[in-house]
Amino acid sequence: MKHKLLLASLAVVVSTFAAPLLAHHGNAAYNYDKKVTVSGTVTEWIWANPHSWLKLDVKDESGEVKHWIVEGSAPPTLSGQGWSHNSFKPGDQVTVTVIQVKNGEPIGRFQGDVVLNGKPFPAQVNGSSGASKGDSKP
Amino acid sequence: MPKGCLFSAILLTALLSSSLLLRAQNAPGTTEEANQGKWNNGPPTKKAYAGKKSAPAPRRDLSGIWNAAAEGGVQAKGVLEHPALLPGHPQDEIGEQPDESGVSRPLSYTPLGLAALKTNKPGVGVRAVGPGLVNDPVDFCDPQGFPRMELFEFRVVQITQTKNQIILLHQFNDNWRIIWTDGRPFPDLNEAEPRWNGYSVGKWVDDYTFEADTVGMNEKTWLDNAGRPHSGDMKVQERFHRLDYDTLELTVTINDPKFYAQPWQALSKFVLHRMPDDYDIQEFFCSASQTADYNKLIGNPASVETPKK
Repeated sequence: MKHKLLLASLAVVVSTFAAPLLAHHGNAAYNYDKKVTVSGTVTEWIWANPHSWLKLDVKDESGEVKHWIVEGSAPPTLSGQGWSHNSFKPGDQVTVTVIQVKNGEPIGRFQGDVVLNGKPFPAQVNGSSGASKGDSKP
Repeated sequence: MPKGCLFSAILLTALLSSSLLLRAQNAPGTTEEANQGKWNNGPPTKKAYAGKKSAPAPRRDLSGIWNAAAEGGVQAKGVLEHPALLPGHPQDEIGEQPDESGVSRPLSYTPLGLAALKTNKPGVGVRAVGPGLVNDPVDFCDPQGFPRMELFEFRVVQITQTKNQIILLHQFNDNWRIIWTDGRPFPDLNEAEPRWNGYSVGKWVDDYTFEADTVGMNEKTWLDNAGRPHSGDMKVQERFHRLDYDTLELTVTINDPKFYAQPWQALSKFVLHRMPDDYDIQEFFCSASQTADYNKLIGNPASVETPKK
């Protein structure tokens, strides 16, 4: 039950902030009709105004590594959703659902479930207190 | 089953359901739990205020920490009363229209105003362009200026009063603004330098209603996130009405005959909810270096060869 509630909370959280609050740099470059799920290794998490962003290395079918960047909301928005400046650390394994830019570059926006080190996000991570992981938008 | 037992069972079920619902609403990771700390929290959402009782409004007092985000103060798609959206597309960024034809609540631009609108390239709404093509001054960490600070990213504002000033401390971009209440007239605008926030004077029109007028804004700023323009001749009126202890209403009226055929309301009785006195407003500076990184890593590459719809 708790697990389902977490997932439900997560879905609401992500869908709530993903589109309308990424307000600064616009949405016209993104393809809202298609969600993409990518899994990879976190290389950097930038907690910044007016957007934060997550960098991760993702291996494709041929084994080639693509450097993905996923943008999220601003820290004051994400803080309200339980994310923080230390939500992700280099080496973390993440699976994120995003919308991708129309030109096919490995750039996306958080637009759905996030799984961090095998657990739904937000979740308590590495002993940090409270709800944990966050994304942001740069 | 005896009637008494049946009633008890129904009551118990109702109580348990309420308890589960409350637990669900306070599940880890939700806004409510995140707001329990004392530092760096986001403001509560609208549902936190539903049905809340309030004490009567204090006399001639706007002071407090106010949550504008709960009722849509971010205004990502343009000012709340006139979002730059087509009917049937409440969120989608259709974009790439040359003007605002077809929006649900159009503004009446003068020819000069329409020309100014077209030079502003927003990243949202019916005229949205790709992020690398946006020329929104806020995206380069320019000040929002007034009145945009109330018409975009209006999240949390702390208001305090002295004997001759109303002082507004805005969260977004950590910006502050003064409204003089000492009866001074406006400066001579032929002499006074144009300001990002303009020159503001105000007065109490009754014990619970405060009105401020602002003139002398420079022409570098936009009115909202959809690129609505203004001229240097614009005059803005704010009307703050203290409905009760926990509720403040704000109406913002734009009067700019050079760019708009008639005065129009950007906010109409927009509700701000009072926050606890110990609410810590998280900083929200615009970092030029981080913005440059964003444009380099995301904004510009995302805009390359974006196909037309």
